[in-house]
Amino acid sequence: MSPLERGALWWERFTSQPLYVLAAMLALLVVYTMGVYRKQMWFMLKSLRRNLLRSILTSLATVVLVLVVTLVWSILYFLDKATSEKAKDLKAIVTERWQIPSQMPFAYAASLSEGAAARPTDVRPDDNMTWQFYGGTIDPGKRTRENTVFFFCMDPRKLLTMMDGLDELTLQERSDLDHAIDVMVKDKRKVVIGKDRLAAMKKRVGERIKVTSLNYKDIDLEVEIIAEFPDGRYNQSAIMNRDYLNDAMDDYNAKQKAKGLPTHPLTMKSLNLVWLRVPDTDAYQRVADQIMSSSLYSSPAVKCETASSGISSFLDAYRDLLWGMRWLLVPSILVTMSLVIANAISISVRERRVEMAVLKVLGFSPGQIMALVLGEAILIGGLSGAFSSGATYVLINQVAGGLKFPIAFFPAFLIPEDALWWGPMIGIGTAVAGSFFPAWSARTVKVSDVFSKIS
Amino acid sequence: MGLEPIVRVRNLHKYFLRGSEQIDVLNDLSLNVPEAEFLALMGPSGSGKTTLLNLIAGLDQPSEGEIWVGEHLISGMSEAQLARWRTRHVGFVFQFYNLLPVLTAYENVELPLLLLPLSSAERKRQVLTALDLVGLSNRLSHRPGQLSGGQQQRVGIARAIVTDPTLIVADEPTGDLDARSAEDILNLLVELKDGLKKTIIMVTHDPRAASRAERVLHLEKGQLVHDTAHASW
Repeated sequence: MSPLERGALWWERFTSQPLYVLAAMLALLVVYTMGVYRKQMWFMLKSLRRNLLRSILTSLATVVLVLVVTLVWSILYFLDKATSEKAKDLKAIVTERWQIPSQMPFAYAASLSEGAAARPTDVRPDDNMTWQFYGGTIDPGKRTRENTVFFFCMDPRKLLTMMDGLDELTLQERSDLDHAIDVMVKDKRKVVIGKDRLAAMKKRVGERIKVTSLNYKDIDLEVEIIAEFPDGRYNQSAIMNRDYLNDAMDDYNAKQKAKGLPTHPLTMKSLNLVWLRVPDTDAYQRVADQIMSSSLYSSPAVKCETASSGISSFLDAYRDLLWGMRWLLVPSILVTMSLVIANAISISVRERRVEMAVLKVLGFSPGQIMALVLGEAILIGGLSGAFSSGATYVLINQVAGGLKFPIAFFPAFLIPEDALWWGPMIGIGTAVAGSFFPAWSARTVKVSDVFSKIS
Repeated sequence: MGLEPIVRVRNLHKYFLRGSEQIDVLNDLSLNVPEAEFLALMGPSGSGKTTLLNLIAGLDQPSEGEIWVGEHLISGMSEAQLARWRTRHVGFVFQFYNLLPVLTAYENVELPLLLLPLSSAERKRQVLTALDLVGLSNRLSHRPGQLSGGQQQRVGIARAIVTDPTLIVADEPTGDLDARSAEDILNLLVELKDGLKKTIIMVTHDPRAASRAERVLHLEKGQLVHDTAHASW
């Protein structure tokens, strides 16, 4: 791809996000203001240099505290997003009712995909998808995390219609993935794997691998990697055509039967999840009723819940921890940040009462003096916050490969792009809160009092 | 000497309250200062001379009475209005210079101009003119700590005149200087009065400094007790 095409792609992705456009406009406004008031900004920066050690320590404290808030908010942000109920176009998850992990017979798949609709008046889902999990290693002699791969076995055509996070692809990415899906449909041995997983396995697109199964004992599969996922949340994922697994299972069972041996232990347990897409909550309720009341699913019984409530149930065990993070830890940090800044700015204002009085004499209005003090705090808070969130984003996402904080089935969390504006906003917000009273005190400096004390 | 009074003070009264006690600092004081006059205010400590200077410079509000500077009745202005007025009409020279230590001489002089709608080229021209007038064109990038007391006071004077104000007020401008530097500063003030026709009001304890003024007003207990016009003028 030429640099021009890459630029066009970047622009397409950028302009499709209203938040980014808004942030860019805000940044332009800030740059413009800094251009117009550059002398005042310069003056504020010089004032911050007056006691460099104090400014650096305040800045460091802000950097550390913003880092902690960014990490905590990243986790909460992701969990909130995953558990927030949608009113329209929502996803229902059907799983085994009484057991985790869910293991249902694949025979359930066809009717569950139709929402157990039996009568013409029953509601049918708009779309559906079945999930079977197949994990294995490419080096059975020495299994490691790196040479292990975990496939989602599904109907490849459902990838683009049902999977989350693939609706923001560029035209080129979508076209590449469409092509890969077509190939997977035609040849069930073809697979798509995320780039980080490929890198970990030291494999490339075009290579063939033999996967020795970990959960489907004795069902080992040879696959050919035909594409990698677009960069993003599926970097560690892998998908396979479900027909390959099911046909392999049938072959295995046929051979076993011929030998008079029992079938594979997972024969009636190979369906893990069914996802159903329904247009609204009313349709969801009716589909859920149809499934739960159907006699087709008695052994094992199944349950139907929204995706968000499914995740919420998982997170129930962490409820107190998450509550504490949200309502105790983060507010405490924000208050601490405000106090750190308040302390530094208060000392600075106390030391500079004469200077404030001189500025008043020169014609600076009380509001302008207050703005200068607030400006210093905002500069230190905003710059430290921006640096902190930017560094956190790069270090966690690019270097550490995510924040390893295993909660429920989420092994790690990435710092969202939104965090890039959290940092400066937290820095500026706490700076304003912390410096308001010192700034007000600077504003009310009485010139005659200050100079009468000097003389 | 100009004849038109540029500063008119009428029945000025300033008092402070300490608990229930009223302390009179200025008492029914009236005064005219003609345009382009160099006026010295003298008097013992507590006589009210600095308070009078602050009131004329718009740094404080009178308890009663009126203060006119040019066509502006400053005794009725709000704090924000006074701030705007001071930017354009008053230059203040302090005893202890009060330059901002983090700024260079150039930046200190430029500071009041940041409040005016001027282009950076215009600001630069005015700052260089002011520093040239006080003879410090070669010290633009020096910080206050790198300048002598006399030089700092010159920067202070450049800062006071850079906006081309109607009035220059100086509170003991030679009080922290040695005799030679004090003489230089007084010469400079006289040059400003003569060359630029600036009206200067200076508070001083020093009779030698006062002798350089055209007129000396003596205050005692908040009232004018003596008005001397020097023959040499």
